[in-house]
Amino acid sequence: MLAWATLLLILFAGNWITDDRGVNPAVAGFAALVIYAVGVALILARREAIRRGAPPSSGDPEAEPDASVAAVIVGLSVGCILFGLVWARFLVYFGAAMLVLALGRMAVELRAERRTLARAKGIREPSE
Amino acid sequence: MSGLAPALVDTAHEYRHLFDMYVPIAVGVFALIVVTVVAAVVVFGRRAPDRAARWHEHNRLEGAYAVMLALVVALLLYLTFTAEHRVDTVANRERPAVVVDVTGSKWEWTFFYPAYEITARSGTVGRQPLVVPVGEAIRFKLRSLDVIHAFWIPALFYKHDAIPGSTQVITLTFSKPGLFPGACAEFCGLRHSDMVFNARAVTPAQFTAWTAAGGRTRTW
Amino acid sequence: MDRRRRPDEDLVSVATTTAVRPARISGWLGAATSTDHKRIGLNLGVCSLVFFLTAGVFALLMRTQLAQPDMHFVSDDTYNQLFTMHGSTMIYLFVTPMAIAMALYLVPLQIGAAGISGPRWALAGFWTWLSGGLVMQSGWFTADGAGRAGWFSYVPLSNATNTPGVGQDLWTMGVILAVAGMMVMAACVLVTIARRRAPGMSLLRMPVLTWTGLASVLMVVGSFPVLILAMMLLFIDRQGGHIYTGYTGAIDYQDMFWFFGHPVVYVMFFPFLGAAAEVIAACSHKRWFGYTAFVASLMAFAALSMAVWSHHMFTTGGVTNQYFAFTSTLLVIPAGIEYFDMVGTLIGGSLVLRTSMLFALAFFLQFLIGGLSGIFVASPVLDYHANDSYMIVAHFHYTLFAGSVFGFFAGVYHWFPKLTGALLREPLGKLQLALMVIGTNMTFAPMFVVGQQGMARRISRYPTHPGWGTANLIETIGAGVIALGVAVFLANVLVSLRHREPAGDDPWLGHTLEWATSSPPPRLNFERPLPPIRSYAPLLDLRHEAEDRARATHESSS
Repeated sequence: MLAWATLLLILFAGNWITDDRGVNPAVAGFAALVIYAVGVALILARREAIRRGAPPSSGDPEAEPDASVAAVIVGLSVGCILFGLVWARFLVYFGAAMLVLALGRMAVELRAERRTLARAKGIREPSE
Repeated sequence: MSGLAPALVDTAHEYRHLFDMYVPIAVGVFALIVVTVVAAVVVFGRRAPDRAARWHEHNRLEGAYAVMLALVVALLLYLTFTAEHRVDTVANRERPAVVVDVTGSKWEWTFFYPAYEITARSGTVGRQPLVVPVGEAIRFKLRSLDVIHAFWIPALFYKHDAIPGSTQVITLTFSKPGLFPGACAEFCGLRHSDMVFNARAVTPAQFTAWTAAGGRTRTW
Repeated sequence: MDRRRRPDEDLVSVATTTAVRPARISGWLGAATSTDHKRIGLNLGVCSLVFFLTAGVFALLMRTQLAQPDMHFVSDDTYNQLFTMHGSTMIYLFVTPMAIAMALYLVPLQIGAAGISGPRWALAGFWTWLSGGLVMQSGWFTADGAGRAGWFSYVPLSNATNTPGVGQDLWTMGVILAVAGMMVMAACVLVTIARRRAPGMSLLRMPVLTWTGLASVLMVVGSFPVLILAMMLLFIDRQGGHIYTGYTGAIDYQDMFWFFGHPVVYVMFFPFLGAAAEVIAACSHKRWFGYTAFVASLMAFAALSMAVWSHHMFTTGGVTNQYFAFTSTLLVIPAGIEYFDMVGTLIGGSLVLRTSMLFALAFFLQFLIGGLSGIFVASPVLDYHANDSYMIVAHFHYTLFAGSVFGFFAGVYHWFPKLTGALLREPLGKLQLALMVIGTNMTFAPMFVVGQQGMARRISRYPTHPGWGTANLIETIGAGVIALGVAVFLANVLVSLRHREPAGDDPWLGHTLEWATSSPPPRLNFERPLPPIRSYAPLLDLRHEAEDRARATHESSS
């Protein structure tokens, strides 16, 4: 991110040299500043993810869902809504209803996932 | 060269000049890489797997190579910027002998000569040529009535968009007499293929005679 | 634990060696709802391959129309729909999603993860993308036909006045859905790379393909939202919203479109570059040369990709041509480094010319023609002539078809055994390669010539001009040869799946972790412990250690 912001600044400078209309320096500086800030924030917050070294091994079990009907319906209902905007109003309502149902179903799935994960941890802990 | 006054920018000449600089570089690079790959395949195609080399990095070499590439980039940009300056900036500084208002619309070109009140149309409506004098700067003011069109004369190696809501000013010079096809290059809908025209470049004397006749009689 | 399990709980596997259960939903529905990244990647890949064949049919129809001057095989209007849908299908529904499919399938395996982050997101993204594809193609079944304003649908041509009809609306919505779906899937890959790398897998030990995938998904996340916004505004404009008005409206649309449109070009290139690189490294029995420089060049590419968009707009008079010529020509440096690394990998290796290797070499050599012609059109003066002519058509087909599609086939021949457990037939593969190399160059090389001579892009009929009839006839025959090559490929897949030649876990002496598991990999990817990860080619490290040990014992015994 930091390199990116620096590159942006260099490019802005290049633009300022070649183009008499130019980009507002305040806007340019602000944009570069925001990217720098995001880069610094990332370094502070997500050291885990962007650190150069190797990630450590974690013994905790992770949940890995096998199937999700809810996610499929979410995808299709978004498609249905946008298709309905072109084709017929009722499809928009139908898609919206499907989306709500799918999100409800998603909540059920996520709860089940949490329970299974807790149980897996419960199984593991006594054995360790 | 083309016998033009030195001040006039010939887009075809600028294009060919630049193109002729780029082509040997591109062909050289292509040939070099093809030869290297073929040679590598021939030389290293029959080694046993355990005899494959293990070296795999040489950052100083890559750095030197990158510097070399940067020099090539600098050379290309120098050539391009020089030509671009002439085509875009110097050309528009020239004092035009003729001004033509070019209007693109679905699917025809309208060429209007304000100084002579002459109009010519070409496209789906028919095929009246754009008549221009040879060896003189001609200013085209490009406009569009509906969608984006692009005014392209392949013989001049130049095109420019006609965008609704704006007037784009370009200056071109025809270096030799003749009939040159032109076309709309930007896709503009149903009969885009038919939005073509011919540019007829004539001697200044013929052009004067043509305008004197109100654009109605051929003088060539 | 005696409590009765709720049915839903069985839908979850837990990523430890003890708690894995098979999926409860099986069969067709199970494949459609699976959150396994391999299944989603495969579904995405197969669906986009179907779209590839569809768009190929559009191309053959267009080439038939253009076989001779002034033909009337299809009407002008049908022709306009054909090229619009050919480009849109290829870009939104084949090359880009195929690039993402490769990343979805291979990246978690290469970094030693048990799955992707946000698998439900990825699954929803896949179905959003697929519904987008269907919505876009559904335009064919409306009274006034499919979208017809080109794959970039410039305003004001694409507004309701100049392109009325439902087909263009469906096109707009299809693009939004397809692009949004791909963006979600790419974000899942990005988070997976950030969070689920195996112990020891630092960023600078990630395999080459994973790096190209990372560069791609970064560009997706950075640029796709802009297109979604542009398309939503276009839809509102088409409903009478007056969004894009006048000159500034036209230029703003182009700026937004190409801010997406140029990064997507590299999204459509990088994963295939990564695939070709992995293939060349494996088939040379030597790790990819110049890893650090390669990674740096990828990042430079990704950053520059978002600073070059207006080189598509040199002829508009609305952008700073010198600046965009500068950034575009700068791309020579990272591109040059990639070729240097390719040659560096070959030299000193032990080369095996399998079908995958030949496709990878063809990818690099043919893409070079596209890349070198790209340097030409990065120069405004040369682009003033080439823009919107057949030179541009030739240029981007050399990059996308002669490049990316060949890289894709290199990847298919390399990873098909991993995906299915069966090898593809080598003789059929070499026949396909020969047909495709001949067909590709017959089709696209003459386009440079007719473009230089002044043939405009997207015309459904062209006048009798010396040489154009012959050149176009050669192109049409070439397109037929390509189609034959694709047919050979499909036959090869069918034969290889019917009469399976078992591949084993690691048929090619691979370098990366996906070859350290079974073919196809199990649900959670790795059942055996991972080998130690000390570089971007962990399996090659193991082989070198074994060789060294054998050599040492041999020397000590003698």
